[in-house]
Amino acid sequence: MSNPKDYQVSVEELAALMKRTAGVQVDPAALRQQSDAGFESFGLDSLGLLGIVAELEKQYGLGLPEQAERCKTPADFLALVNGALKTGV
Amino acid sequence: MSAGRRPRAVVTGLGVVSPHGVGAETFWKAVADGTSSLGPVTREGCGHLPLRVAGEVRGFDAVETIEERFLVQTDRFTHFALAAAQLAMEDARFGRADIASPYSVGVVTAAGSGGGEFGQRELQNLWGHGSRYVGPYQSIAWFYAASTGQISIRNDFKGPCGVVAADEAGGLDALAHAALTVRGGTERVVCGATEAPLAPYSVVCQLGYPELSRADEPDRAYRPFTAAACGFAPAEGGAMLVVEEETAARERGAEPRATVAGHAATFTGASRWEQSRAGLARAIQGALAEAGCRPEEIDVVFADALGVPEADRAEALALTDALGAHARRVPVTAPKTGTGRAYCAAPVLDVATAVLSMEHGLIPPTPHVFDLCHDLDVVAGRARAVEPRTALVLSRGLMGGNSALVLRKGA
Repeated sequence: MSNPKDYQVSVEELAALMKRTAGVQVDPAALRQQSDAGFESFGLDSLGLLGIVAELEKQYGLGLPEQAERCKTPADFLALVNGALKTGV
Repeated sequence: MSAGRRPRAVVTGLGVVSPHGVGAETFWKAVADGTSSLGPVTREGCGHLPLRVAGEVRGFDAVETIEERFLVQTDRFTHFALAAAQLAMEDARFGRADIASPYSVGVVTAAGSGGGEFGQRELQNLWGHGSRYVGPYQSIAWFYAASTGQISIRNDFKGPCGVVAADEAGGLDALAHAALTVRGGTERVVCGATEAPLAPYSVVCQLGYPELSRADEPDRAYRPFTAAACGFAPAEGGAMLVVEEETAARERGAEPRATVAGHAATFTGASRWEQSRAGLARAIQGALAEAGCRPEEIDVVFADALGVPEADRAEALALTDALGAHARRVPVTAPKTGTGRAYCAAPVLDVATAVLSMEHGLIPPTPHVFDLCHDLDVVAGRARAVEPRTALVLSRGLMGGNSALVLRKGA
């Protein structure tokens, strides 16, 4: 397991997770460009985001804040998740 | 809607995914020929179980048919439902351009087995690895309501939706519920049932049914109305139909193929087959009354045909109770002996077959059945060329539901 403090979730990783856990195909460049657009606009529903949170928690071996699954946009989600990974909370 | 006339619910499209193949025409060809698609159980993880013969859907490629984001969150039974719904809409020539408002289209399905394969995988993750390994879609995929929800989401249908959890006979009840919805003012409802009960967990659940056939040979496993009856072979697959209000169908240029004319349902208790006689007779009488149909008008009966001697006897007697002397003259068929019994989907496949039978002027035979031991005119061996105009479809569930549905050709 990598040290959480060394690790940040990239847009590319988020795109890969969206594909793997929710079957949603999204181009990382588009995700980066429209990172303030709602997850629904990429075809990801709330259960899909819940699955991504669970995957990240498994991968990093820690619990993410409850607000993570309520984030509306990729930008908000990555900011929150990466903030939590940095502090290791 | 013309004043004074009761709105009619008519069938305009059929979508079939069955052991006989994918698509209504492929299905009909096999049914009319009296082909049997029963075979050994080959689904993964089922080989060691004491169920040997079933009707499996082969040659169905879910990945090719359904978008990945729907695939990851659905079980095989919903894959069948999504595909069958699409086929039914294509068959009805009903497309996006015909949808004036998303609220004008509803969805009703019935299910009796649910998403066993998906559920089993997630439960194995739970006890094998822990709760973090259970995906969020477990909260929707294995429930009976999954197919109705996913069909409505995929097609953006926002009209009245429903799920009937009423045992195998619920397949007919779902069509009746759709007809009621259409008569109540919704332009059309995509309705029916599909099942995928050939996953290990689901098969184990069925092993407790004394009615399940344990026979080894496909041509001996499911032989209702004969002295060799030894239970039923289960099946997967099913059918979805487009049911529309007659005027709404005609306005978009669709010709009504059959009318859902009458339906009734009763309940007589789990595995109480002798008692099902009275319940089924009552359901038939109720369906005839609603259809304004005399017993003599019934041109063909699609039997429940459970394949358990006591249940077959009760069905034969129920037909006599409800149809009188006509019960001995009317052709009775059970094409499901060639596919197996797909629980809630079995009577919906029978309704699809009844529509095709009236259109083709041909009553399909009952595969594997000869040497009849009941006083019924069972169509065995070869299809019979007649022109049925009114069909009676019967269904009973292992848990005690009895339903009857009357279909009339055209409108």
